[in-house]
Amino acid sequence: MVKKTRLGRFSAKLLGWRMWIQTFFLLLWLDPLGLRMHTMCSPVFHCYACPLATFACPIGVIAQFSALHVFPFIAIGLLVAVGALSGTLICGWVCPFGYLQDLTAKVPAPKFDLPKFTGYFRYVMLIGTVLAIPYFFGEGHPLFVCRICPAGALEAAVPTMAGQAIAGEKVVWPNALKLTILVVFLIAIFFIKRPWCRVLCPLGAIFSLFNRASAFFLRFKPDECTDCGRCHTLCEYGIEPEKTTNDLRCIRCLECTKCNPDALTLGSVFERSETIKSQAES
Amino acid sequence: MTEKTIKIITFCMLILLGGFLFFYGVFFHSTTVSARQNGEPVVLAKSESALMKDASVSGVKRDETGKIKQTYEIGEKAPEACST
Repeated sequence: MVKKTRLGRFSAKLLGWRMWIQTFFLLLWLDPLGLRMHTMCSPVFHCYACPLATFACPIGVIAQFSALHVFPFIAIGLLVAVGALSGTLICGWVCPFGYLQDLTAKVPAPKFDLPKFTGYFRYVMLIGTVLAIPYFFGEGHPLFVCRICPAGALEAAVPTMAGQAIAGEKVVWPNALKLTILVVFLIAIFFIKRPWCRVLCPLGAIFSLFNRASAFFLRFKPDECTDCGRCHTLCEYGIEPEKTTNDLRCIRCLECTKCNPDALTLGSVFERSETIKSQAES
Repeated sequence: MTEKTIKIITFCMLILLGGFLFFYGVFFHSTTVSARQNGEPVVLAKSESALMKDASVSGVKRDETGKIKQTYEIGEKAPEACST
């Protein structure tokens, strides 16, 4: 008897369309209707100062509200609800900044892996630059997250500087630290897969906390596993999915579910497992 | 209690918590903001959504006394670009 779930079969079909799905969501975040709905934040990492941003950035909102000493109910409520539903599925399938890194990773260049401990820097970034520094020092501090964020530099500062140059106005450059981080980031994305997501993303740090408890999760079936190690090769982020399923560093790209014995599949708390009879029994 | 039951309960609690926080923020939460109108100080109650929009363009700041102040006068156009 082989157990397959409807969701597992559906996600396997969807896997080939991942980049198209990311492109579809990009249209949502890039404000095609010119709405500029900055009274609401999105659950993805996209700078609200970007000329094409539909919504406010949740990390920017949390940091700004931390500086104001006001609790951001909308941002936190949205992130808790989305995290509870999907965990880091948002990172792997929806986030535009992650998508940018996925696209640049396709450029033929030698790829390097990162040590596992670098994933913990995300929590340092979250607690330090998003919460503590704004709370104690205000939004004027040079290490306030928005002042060093490469998403802000790339999506907002660069278009703004280009607009100023085209208009013949004085070009205002971002601070040296922001520029340095941007340059390092722009080099790193060609040689490391998703460097921002793996090392510094505070939003990914928040969503990863829900990976063990989210409604959609990676299901590992030890009975199906043949220890072939194929999932290690399929995982592009140095995780051994059969050993640490729903790892904090996982972005749930679901590439490991291409595992042949179906030991790794997308699961959910809502599904009932279906049993299909093997050909020998039918 | 099976692992699946614990997961369902955890998910339901988190969704309820997230939903409650979100809807409270959208419909009920407001913050007192000091502003100026025609040179005179006024006090406003800004909804969280409005505060979010103002914060994204550095339209509000916390001063040394801990009060939140609007950086532009009422009737003036809000800043357009984030100061960061």
